[in-house]
Amino acid sequence: MNVPTVHPVPDVPAVPVVLQAKNLVKRYGHVTALDGMDFELRADEVLAVIGDNGAGKSTLIKALAIVPDAGEIRLDGRLVRFGSPIEARLAGVECCYQDLAVAPAMTVAENLFLGRELRRAGFLGRCLRMLDRQKMIDVAGARMADLQVGIHSMTQTVETLSGGQRQCVAVARAAAFARHVVILDEPTAALGVKEGNMVLELIRRVRDKGLPVVLISHNMPHVFEIADRIHVARLGRRAAVLNPKKLSMSDAVAVMTGATAPENIPAEWQA
Amino acid sequence: MRIAVLGPFLALIAACLFFATQSDRFLTGENLSLVLQQAVVVGIIAIGQTLVILTAGIDLSCGMVMALGGIIMSKFAVDFGLTAPIAMAAGISVAALFGLTNGLLVTTVKLPPFIVTLGTMNIAFAITQLYSHSQTVTDLPLWMTALGDTFSLAGTKVAWGTLLMLALYGLTWFVLSETAAGRHVYAVGNNPEAARLVGIPTRKVLLGVYALAGVFYGFASLLSVGRTGVGDPNAGQTENLDAITAVVLGGTSLFGGRGVVIGSLIGTLVVGVFRNGLTLMGVSSIYQVLVTGILVILAVTADQLSRKGAR
Ligand SMILES: Nc1ncnc2c1ncn2[C@@H]1O[C@H](COP(=O)(O)OP(=O)(O)OP(=O)(O)O)[C@@H](O)[C@H]1O
Ligand SMILES: [Mg+2]
Repeated sequence: MNVPTVHPVPDVPAVPVVLQAKNLVKRYGHVTALDGMDFELRADEVLAVIGDNGAGKSTLIKALAIVPDAGEIRLDGRLVRFGSPIEARLAGVECCYQDLAVAPAMTVAENLFLGRELRRAGFLGRCLRMLDRQKMIDVAGARMADLQVGIHSMTQTVETLSGGQRQCVAVARAAAFARHVVILDEPTAALGVKEGNMVLELIRRVRDKGLPVVLISHNMPHVFEIADRIHVARLGRRAAVLNPKKLSMSDAVAVMTGATAPENIPAEWQA
Repeated sequence: MRIAVLGPFLALIAACLFFATQSDRFLTGENLSLVLQQAVVVGIIAIGQTLVILTAGIDLSCGMVMALGGIIMSKFAVDFGLTAPIAMAAGISVAALFGLTNGLLVTTVKLPPFIVTLGTMNIAFAITQLYSHSQTVTDLPLWMTALGDTFSLAGTKVAWGTLLMLALYGLTWFVLSETAAGRHVYAVGNNPEAARLVGIPTRKVLLGVYALAGVFYGFASLLSVGRTGVGDPNAGQTENLDAITAVVLGGTSLFGGRGVVIGSLIGTLVVGVFRNGLTLMGVSSIYQVLVTGILVILAVTADQLSRKGAR
């Protein structure tokens, strides 16, 4: 893990901050989806992001990977401005977006390499721009085996997989290539108990590899099972950052819905 | 992928067998070579149409743009005395410009492809008629009709245009299946939002597809002019629906993201065999239009049903 070098953040905490955002604003027409959202992801942690529907969770993720209307984003303390998801990916930040971002009629390997296809070496690749199918299949197979995702045929089209397996492909795509940060938007939504646990297991493995994970989820048991800290989004802002070891699920829900006002949150709940 | 063109291929065989029982002349080398020559124009239009349909779009202007390109190149050559290559390039450029316009309207104004190309179809038709005064352009330079010339291969006549068509199919197949740009066309047709989120420049892909389709229509005008030897303002009218039919018969899904371009070649041959066979049987051309209409609906129905099956 890189330690911040250039322009260190003024108040460097004990644990290095990997991804930090201040005062993010994002509007869609008249809707203000993000209204000055702050965000902080530390090294080696799973940070859960919870909030009601429309709280701005998905927008936060998109703003982190694609230019927001206002606000600043720092990666390893360095000010960054990703003009497109591809730039974020080049910086090692991988996202798995909420609405199953896979191409159903394409194969698992093609989906994994979508937008970062490997070309053949030499004339065929350089001049004819020919893809190296076999290498993509091999690398995809190796990465999936690494993550212990139970999908073995890389040449199967994604539409022939079950819903849970498709979700795993989308999650694995982010996890397999991330070098810095993995962001997952509702990766366990619509999954059965077994598949949900499979994705949680995958997240744990990613964290154990030393990559911090942002996990957006409505599933409180999952959040409390895996998160090191909980970022609560409310009305486009950060309401609080909570410590799951110090409070109960219903406490967290109370903060999330506004039943517990931010100024009334006990200090020991905060993280 | 081989499975994908199996259905269309069987349909082609079935059509051939059927017409062979209906007419003794159908299976002669001379007739089959005629089918191939007639299929060339639809075949090249169908390449452009395949690209567009793969992105879940549709191009209703294809035949009319082809006709306009033909009129431009023949009028430019005859009226301005331009040498054939320059006049040909002018015709192809105008067709490409129409494709680009379609693409811009689809990507920047975000209009549905159906409406955009319905509009440009009529615009291209009107320009063709106005510019040519609805008159056929004759006395074209020799070079311009060279692609319609034939050479003899094992006793059958093969047009140079047929070779050009096969080359274009080969090239398109290579780009679509073996390069990232080609795979991105499929990705955009499959799930445009997903394509955008992984960083594929979806608008550029769409724009490129529509413009390239225009270029293919331009090549088709070249072959249409070459085959008939004249600039025909009424060209393209049957080709318009025939090309769409060919693509859908070839197994490319109107919902986008599925299909192979070689399928469109087979689809083109199916359409060509139907037209030829019905002509041999003495069926009037109105009935051929009727049959094409039924064919396209059957093909789309098969597409819809198989898609439901896949879900
Ligand atoms: N593409 C868009 N166009 C217009 N409005 C949008 C768009 N995306 C999000 N919004 C609006 O922004 C607000 C925040 O949406 P966002 O998707 O970030 O919520 P969320 O917290 O992810 O909700 P959920 O839990 O339902 O996923 C909502 O009011 C939504 O209507
Ligand atoms: Mg969301």
